Amino acid sequence: MPRTTTLECSGCPPFRALTFDALGLIKVVEARHKNRQLPQVVERWGDPQSSKCVTAVSIIDRNSHPLLAVARTNNQIEILCPVNGDTHATISDANDLDEDNNIIGLHLFAKQNLELTSRHCSLLTCTTKGTASIRSIEFDDTSSETSCIGSSETWNVCSGGNISCCKVDRNEKFALFGGKGVEINIWDLDNTTKIWNSKPPPKDSLGIFTPTWFTSATFLMKDDHRKFVAGTNNHQVRLYDISAQRRPVFSFDFRETPIKALAEDVDGYSIYVGNGSGDMASIDIRTGKLLGCFSGKCSGSIRSIVRHPELPVIASCGLDSYLRLWDTKTRQLLSAVFLKQHIMHVLFDSNFVLEGTDKEQTTTEFKVSKEVEASPLKRKKSSKNKEHMLDGRERKKISRQSKERRMSEAQEIEGKTHGLGRKLKLVTQK
Amino acid sequence: MGGKRKKSDEWGNDDVEAEEASSKKKTRVKEQLLPSMIKNKEKRSEVHAKLKHQKRLVKRAKAKSRDAALKRALELGEEPPEKKVPRTLENTRELDETVCKPDDDELFAGNDADEFSSILNQQQTPKILITTCRFHSTRGPAFISELLSVIPNAHYFKRGTYNLKKIVEYAKKKDFTSIIVVHTNRREPDSLLIIAVPDGPTAHFKLSKLVLRKDIKNHGTPTSHKPELVLNNFTTRLGHRIGRLIQSLFPQDPEFKGRRVVTFHNQRDFIFFRHHRYIFETKEVKKAESKGKKNKDGKSEIVPEQKTIARLQECGPRFTLKLISLQHGTFDTKGGEYEWVHKPEMDTSRRRFFL
Repeated sequence: MPRTTTLECSGCPPFRALTFDALGLIKVVEARHKNRQLPQVVERWGDPQSSKCVTAVSIIDRNSHPLLAVARTNNQIEILCPVNGDTHATISDANDLDEDNNIIGLHLFAKQNLELTSRHCSLLTCTTKGTASIRSIEFDDTSSETSCIGSSETWNVCSGGNISCCKVDRNEKFALFGGKGVEINIWDLDNTTKIWNSKPPPKDSLGIFTPTWFTSATFLMKDDHRKFVAGTNNHQVRLYDISAQRRPVFSFDFRETPIKALAEDVDGYSIYVGNGSGDMASIDIRTGKLLGCFSGKCSGSIRSIVRHPELPVIASCGLDSYLRLWDTKTRQLLSAVFLKQHIMHVLFDSNFVLEGTDKEQTTTEFKVSKEVEASPLKRKKSSKNKEHMLDGRERKKISRQSKERRMSEAQEIEGKTHGLGRKLKLVTQK
Repeated sequence: MGGKRKKSDEWGNDDVEAEEASSKKKTRVKEQLLPSMIKNKEKRSEVHAKLKHQKRLVKRAKAKSRDAALKRALELGEEPPEKKVPRTLENTRELDETVCKPDDDELFAGNDADEFSSILNQQQTPKILITTCRFHSTRGPAFISELLSVIPNAHYFKRGTYNLKKIVEYAKKKDFTSIIVVHTNRREPDSLLIIAVPDGPTAHFKLSKLVLRKDIKNHGTPTSHKPELVLNNFTTRLGHRIGRLIQSLFPQDPEFKGRRVVTFHNQRDFIFFRHHRYIFETKEVKKAESKGKKNKDGKSEIVPEQKTIARLQECGPRFTLKLISLQHGTFDTKGGEYEWVHKPEMDTSRRRFFL
């Protein structure tokens, strides 16, 4: 008998993810069964067309009237319903944008229009050349063609260079922009003023200066816009703190190919890094220590990493046309779905509810089971988490918030993250 | 020790065969025949020879009975017994979901959208730039001159001291469609870089087993006709892409008059390159009949009046390629994104192939 080794995939908890690929297709991947079956592609929206390659996506992930915005290379922005794929509105910028000036950043504001109707949304776009704009859009449910742009505000983020990353923090008050030849800028979105600008690290001992080229960035914590992590083209991951200094507080190298994707964890200190040759790792950013690599024969550049808001699951996708789902704790591959095209982005739809089951129940069940599975490893952290689980949610929330506050305070005082981890530990022990 | 271990394994197999012959014999054989246990070398080799002889006898008997069964079936006009297919690495290959299927509409849509579609749809004629690494000598230039004769519309440019990114820029300006870089190490070509030019992928191959034309016996000299192209076994999505990359090096309208054929044959992720000239010859009927008699088949074979056979003459170089990486975009080792890189952790099974 031939000895064949098959990768043991333990299956996934129920989830729903949307993937966006190079031909402009949107594919919906779902794992439906509670007893951990393999996820499958359940729907495909759009026609394959190379000019409709997806460049940026954004989702408002809420229970009622969720919205999804997709920017494509032909400079169209589509606003869709992530549940059934209906197009609410199409905005075309084709007249004022040329071929190599694509929309690279896109953000749908979720919090601003809570009180407004479902037929209204506002979004931030940013192009490669650095034109950022906020516009609010009203659309009718009946006809998808007509969309009127209410107010729009346009400003220039940079004078030269190419923007390649654009992120908005969770409170949607600040946005950061960075790219090739563009140091990271942070803008206050309320009155569109630049509040902070990073400074390149000094020349090294040989007097060599590496040109600025940011490829990805992410805000570190939920309610704090001051700390963020950025990945550069010369495989550096840098931690910046606005309140401390303009140069990176801390930076380290990761492998040999450019960092292509960064994602933060909900705990506020561990980040996930993906690079151009398909290596992925999770890193404790307080100390810069590598927590572990995600190894699973991933061979193509990773374009996007997304953390599920509730489940301990992250999804990664990229040029090897696989959507891979990983467990954040054990760093094992849960499953991989082959999607045939180069995938540009992936998003989780966390409001996916199975028929006949309570979502809360399943998630908590999965969490608990994961805890049990992870417990043989016996890490300090996991046991701590477990305590929190037992104590109840409220306390957890409070403790986390206080922890974060303490962390930020400590960082302000210390200025350097190197000592911060140790300090923080002391504080928490007290 | 390793060698001994292997031998004993062989004997284990033999035991299974001997089992069919006679169980009595087997017990006797078994207590005697563990050559690894015999310490006297003379004795050991004697036992070994004996066993080997027995094994050959069994094999011969088996073949004879198989032939007899076939013959009888033919005489009786029955269905001949099924031919056994040997189990190879290829046909016990690990299941791969990325293997292209002919009914996949997304595959064709992807093909239409990729970088090679304009060449493969004959909207653009391929124009190839061939260059070398910085330092090269002896076999390198000889190999390049043969590549120039294989690939039509290929132009050799001296590398000079230009860096590769500059060469890519130049090729973009001059409307080249691909760049081939032959890298030599110790005066021996050892890797090949194929860059599809405006924005296509960059494939890095390891090149081995290079035999130049002059070292091939009875080689022919190729004509300047456009060759036909044979691409074998590029099955997966990655293989498909590599196949298209190779296809885009050659003109899509072969001149069949030239009877030149260039083959890229993929087997177990190694791509074998061969270059042949073929000719169709008609053979006389008489010869075929006499041949049949000589063989004493006794088959009632209907021999056609005139038999056409194809003869091949090898010309041009012969080499083997193995994919190391496929990079998205043109050559950029520092900031490049890879579509596929060979990593050592992929080699955990001998039955897993990527092309």
